[in-house]
Amino acid sequence: MLKIAHLIDDTTAGGVTRYLDFLRQDPRLGRQADHQVIEVKRNRPGGVPADADIIVSHLAVSWAGLPGMIALRARHTGTPMVHVEHSYSEGFAALNVTSRTRFQCLLRSTYSLFDRVVAVSDAQAGWLARNGLARVDTLDVIPPMVDLTALEDIAAPEGPVRKIAAIGRLDRQKGFDMLIRAFRLVEDPDLTLTFFGEGDARDELLALAEGDSRIRFAGFAVNPAAAYAGSDLVVMPSRWEPYGLVAAEANVAGRRVLMSCVDGLQDQAPRGNPIVGEPTVAAWADALTRIAGRPAALAQRPTAASLRNETITGWERLLDVLTNQPAEATAQTA
Amino acid sequence: MPKASIIVPAYNVAGTIRETLQSLLAQSFSDLEIVVVDDGSTDRTVSVVRSFGDPRIRLVQQPNRGLAGARNTGINHARGDYIGFCDSDDLWRAGKLAAHVAHLDRNPHVGLSFSGSELIDTESKGLGLAQRPRLRGISAADVFLYNPVGNGSSPVMRRAALAAISFRPAHEPLRDWYFDERFRQSEDIECWLRLALTTDWVIEGVTGLLTRYRVVTGGLSAGTARQYASWEALVEKLSPLAPDFFARHAPAARAFQHRYLARRAVSSSDGEEALHRIRAAWSSSPRALLRTPLKSATTTVAALVLGALGPDVLSVFARAAGRRLA
Repeated sequence: MLKIAHLIDDTTAGGVTRYLDFLRQDPRLGRQADHQVIEVKRNRPGGVPADADIIVSHLAVSWAGLPGMIALRARHTGTPMVHVEHSYSEGFAALNVTSRTRFQCLLRSTYSLFDRVVAVSDAQAGWLARNGLARVDTLDVIPPMVDLTALEDIAAPEGPVRKIAAIGRLDRQKGFDMLIRAFRLVEDPDLTLTFFGEGDARDELLALAEGDSRIRFAGFAVNPAAAYAGSDLVVMPSRWEPYGLVAAEANVAGRRVLMSCVDGLQDQAPRGNPIVGEPTVAAWADALTRIAGRPAALAQRPTAASLRNETITGWERLLDVLTNQPAEATAQTA
Repeated sequence: MPKASIIVPAYNVAGTIRETLQSLLAQSFSDLEIVVVDDGSTDRTVSVVRSFGDPRIRLVQQPNRGLAGARNTGINHARGDYIGFCDSDDLWRAGKLAAHVAHLDRNPHVGLSFSGSELIDTESKGLGLAQRPRLRGISAADVFLYNPVGNGSSPVMRRAALAAISFRPAHEPLRDWYFDERFRQSEDIECWLRLALTTDWVIEGVTGLLTRYRVVTGGLSAGTARQYASWEALVEKLSPLAPDFFARHAPAARAFQHRYLARRAVSSSDGEEALHRIRAAWSSSPRALLRTPLKSATTTVAALVLGALGPDVLSVFARAAGRRLA
């Protein structure tokens, strides 16, 4: 059976770790290949089993990490290598990159070490392709996934939107500061806004929320299903979001997501999620005002299987391409 | 389908739009359409446009929505992949569109292509002054501090870049917005800055003073306070999007904005306003002003002289120096 080594350098309880748990445990994927997860030291990927047929990097791309990536490629010259880009997107680049040339040079150099590059959303793939960061013929789109079956059983919200949940790391990326400013402009005493998550921006957000008893901080959600079950609406005012797993989770849990119009969220809007087209406090306050008190239920609740299927077929297709590639290459040179 | 569309917003411009349209029809790159958006004119603007009888000119009429609203309507009617803007009193050099089309064709990552501008007077004569911005390596900070795009008749944009910044306010039933119609001033810079802060489309210039940008000198400076207020409104609007960016760059940008308005006040001989603005500029960020010391010094001296001795003295100086103050 095909042996796949997934390399990860950040094992804090985040989306990537849960995604790899899913890949490792999904029975259908398990029939095609043995997905192993290998924790590596930051910037020093190693320890790949000698019999791995395919190496998949979920590593953070950085200048400091480039030598390690080059060494990895050099040690496994004959093994197909795939990189999954979890971190960077157009929205990230717009707000965080000071030297565009240097940043793009880093991505091009790193991606050139890999046989294929996997984007996590169509929007991210479009950005990579448009800027010539990855070659279009080596670029795949596979949305990340986690086990969502526990969320399918949650009862759909009944009645109007009252309880709003913001789920994710308390980090500048998530735009929760803008959300609090906007929420405070909505003078509806029946609305609540609950944050599930921890992070560096906690103190700043607490200060912004001070004096508004409708805003609560519930800490890290040990049981995400309960967080979804206790809400009528999920909000994602992210500044950038290569994919945005929370939106998939919320939808399977029968919750609509009020989302900003960035990166991978654009891919997920068509499932019935309203978009706030302008990244401003006024636009968010306006959107919250409009949705408050309206029926909460998501019209067409996706099943976990339907979302899972996209990810699984994506990997099946990719593995097919990789395992057939050497044969094709030989045929061409012959 | 034409390759390029040029949007011409028109509001009571019967006196100038003929020359504008002639300059657009004379473009060496001819696969174009011109979308004139009559923004509720009450003069002969519409009949002047109709009198051309050229099939490449399309006229769209709407009740007055302001410059941003007219441009948005134009974009929504445009069929080209490249969409340029020319205000109805400005002129394009014959090679302008060709230069931008070649630039955009060659550089698929460029979303906004601009050029330098020659400043002209009411008689379309060159004032001997120009906007010669940096053309490459432009960051969001450059857009905010120096507005290299320069003016609303300078850019030609890629349709996909416009799509990336489009939005539909809840109260807008008809069509998307690209420029924010709530701004009656600063709508250009708001749009370019939003493009820079929310997308990865590159803003880049082509060489040459390809736009002829009309400045009406000697006008009232009563508008400077309003113009400043709209600039602050744009800072307030976009700050929550990128708090760190604005915390870092707003003081310098504010100093430049005040200095620019001080120069405007000087050229309309309003000493009091000029002094007020240049003082505000120095208190915003002396360090920023010292980055371009000559410009800051001349503006400060002009404001001081004008404030102390009155407008007549300054025009004597200006004549002696053989330059116009614009």
